[in-house]
Amino acid sequence: MAKDKKSFFDKMQVLDRRYIYIVVALAIIIPLVIPFNSKTYVTTPTENVYKKIDSFAGRKDRAILMCFSHDASTMAELFPMEVSILRHCFERKVQVFTICFMPAAKPLMDYAIQTAKEEYNVQSGIDYCNFGYKPYGLFLPILLGMGDDIAEAVDTDDEGRKISNLEIMKEIKNYNEMNLVIDFAASAAVYAWITYARARFGANVAAGITAVMAADNYPYLQTGQLVGMLAGLKGAAEYEKLVDVFATHKELDSYGVLQPASREFSKEVLKESWIKLSDIKNVKHKKARIGMNAQTVAHIMIIVFIILGNIGYFSSKKKKKA
Amino acid sequence: MKRQIPLLIVIILGFMFAVHTFVPHKASVDFYDWYQTWIKAISPFMVLLGIMSLFMVHSTKIKRKVPNWQYSLITLIALVGTGAVGFIWGTQQGTPFMWLFKNVQMPMGATMFSLLAFYIASAAYKAFRARSIEATVLLLAAMIVMLGQVPIGIKISKLIPEASQWILNVPNLAAKRGIALGVGLGMTATSLKILLGIERTYLGGGD
Repeated sequence: MAKDKKSFFDKMQVLDRRYIYIVVALAIIIPLVIPFNSKTYVTTPTENVYKKIDSFAGRKDRAILMCFSHDASTMAELFPMEVSILRHCFERKVQVFTICFMPAAKPLMDYAIQTAKEEYNVQSGIDYCNFGYKPYGLFLPILLGMGDDIAEAVDTDDEGRKISNLEIMKEIKNYNEMNLVIDFAASAAVYAWITYARARFGANVAAGITAVMAADNYPYLQTGQLVGMLAGLKGAAEYEKLVDVFATHKELDSYGVLQPASREFSKEVLKESWIKLSDIKNVKHKKARIGMNAQTVAHIMIIVFIILGNIGYFSSKKKKKA
Repeated sequence: MKRQIPLLIVIILGFMFAVHTFVPHKASVDFYDWYQTWIKAISPFMVLLGIMSLFMVHSTKIKRKVPNWQYSLITLIALVGTGAVGFIWGTQQGTPFMWLFKNVQMPMGATMFSLLAFYIASAAYKAFRARSIEATVLLLAAMIVMLGQVPIGIKISKLIPEASQWILNVPNLAAKRGIALGVGLGMTATSLKILLGIERTYLGGGD
């Protein structure tokens, strides 16, 4: 008996998964090697985080706390947002504290601070303060303790200095002043801040989270328990864009030299802004946007795979019926 | 006694913490301060316990030459090696510790997580089929959200990011809230059962 001749779609149905892996690898690698310009649109949750941080600009009686709750595996998504927020704070003179309760997050936290401060003349203990790594067993005592007195709850910073003696602490006592907490995680770590820091002390809480976890946070965004959220690589790319368009904006002076000219957030300016990736010299400041190119191609590839798979499924179903 | 004493500790402290949450009396605040001092003292021992446990588990595997015992050896070498360079040269920028972090841990961690993209693509191709109405709805929602998450989505149509946000803000939110309420009620019920001594499985089986 002669064998039925297999159609293209029949062959595609039993395609070896290694071919899929090769296509996905190429779809990710090529856009990373040859970046192209794509216009990132900014979502409201990211906008809200930016505006909240920016409202603290130049104020000595306000600060933000960045809690690093992830390890190197999710760095591709979370690290660019951490660097962008730190750059925003350093540029706009927003006092910033950093802390982590995971040993694996400590080098990441140090690396983010070092990366962001490269272009700024900021000093530890004056413009920012790294609380360092604290054992996870102290997470709740510190979280709750900061509601009364940060200096007492944290005690010493990463360099072993007494928190109460630092200049940055002069007008900062508790969550009333350190009024925004941003937790960066690939898990539900932010819920503890919502449950205790938000509900009990009224602190504003925001999340920087991996894309797969983002869907879980929408109920908290809707209720206002989260003031904003940076979701995955897209959130990081959006924040990078906001920092470039507003915080680190430069304008030509009368001598034709580019001078820093930070500006307030404006939807109209954002709508009209267009920054070419090639115009940004420091690659660390556009990592998320370059990554978004790879994500764009990868998403399209996955959609193409789904469509091809379904065409094959329906054609073989039709054949069987016939 | 082996079961009664731990049970009593859990019940008494459990109720004390519950009272502390709702009663802002000085005695309640003092109790919490006392607890904080103790937890600060106990916490470092947890790290010590973790390291000891890791050593015991992996050294036993190496001694008994169980299958894949080589991985245990690598784990212990990495643990001791990383700890040693951190203690000797510190953990600041430019130290061997940071070199190890940037050149070993970072790429290895990223590699493991990025494998997800390959599995998702393969699974989407092999299993994501419009076999029923529910599966078709799921498939379409996934495609809209995927397009809405990347800049090309808005290029195709302004409606795609809006539809993507609607999916996340309405059906997704409703489902997540339903799950969260269920989990919350379940947790409250389990906590009460533990506090009242009805639920005792956490004490371990047998006497």
